[in-house]
Amino acid sequence: MKNILKIERARHSLTQQGLAEKIGVSRQTINAMESNKYVPSTVLALKIARLFQLKVEEIFLLEEND
Amino acid sequence: MKSSLLLPSRYKWIGFILLIPSLILGLLVRFRDFSFDFLTLTKSQTLVHSKNLNLDDLINLTDELALTGLIVALLFIAFAREKQEDEFINKLRLESLQWALLFNYVLLILATWLVHGLGYIDVMMYNMLTILIFFIIRFHVALYRNRSSINE
Repeated sequence: MKNILKIERARHSLTQQGLAEKIGVSRQTINAMESNKYVPSTVLALKIARLFQLKVEEIFLLEEND
Repeated sequence: MKSSLLLPSRYKWIGFILLIPSLILGLLVRFRDFSFDFLTLTKSQTLVHSKNLNLDDLINLTDELALTGLIVALLFIAFAREKQEDEFINKLRLESLQWALLFNYVLLILATWLVHGLGYIDVMMYNMLTILIFFIIRFHVALYRNRSSINE
């Protein structure tokens, strides 16, 4: 799974820390998601989508091998 | 998502503070035959005792004290919540625990084949603590790696 988290974060001019604080997770979690090392839970994905006012599937995209 | 089995994060420091005297006591007991006199009991005062291992009628509880201190200290360090414990940190925690368990048993199998006789008692003694030690090291390395790879 890939995501456009970094792009959306930049569009809202948020730092990793800033985004982390807004959705109540650690900065490591944001970093791990952006580098595709961590697939977030549904709850976290929904929180991110709500913050960016997008649908979950607009931020997180399935890849061939998923 | 909340893991209720974790302790508040200050327990990590309480653990380290408890670890130092326990470790010193443990090393003294193990390598210098150190014991506190006031912790000496006669066998009839203890709950479980075996005839074969201790020939004399006195049992000293200094080693019990040291081992209890070490286990409690390591448990505190291992299961103290991180300052920001979230689902990703939780995943790192569980993966580290799994790794530590596997690594510990691989070492135990190796030691079982390589160490014989009385030395094996040492192996079992250290093995009581190594699983927690491996977990703590592995978990903190994982945390450190993720922290240092952060680029804004």
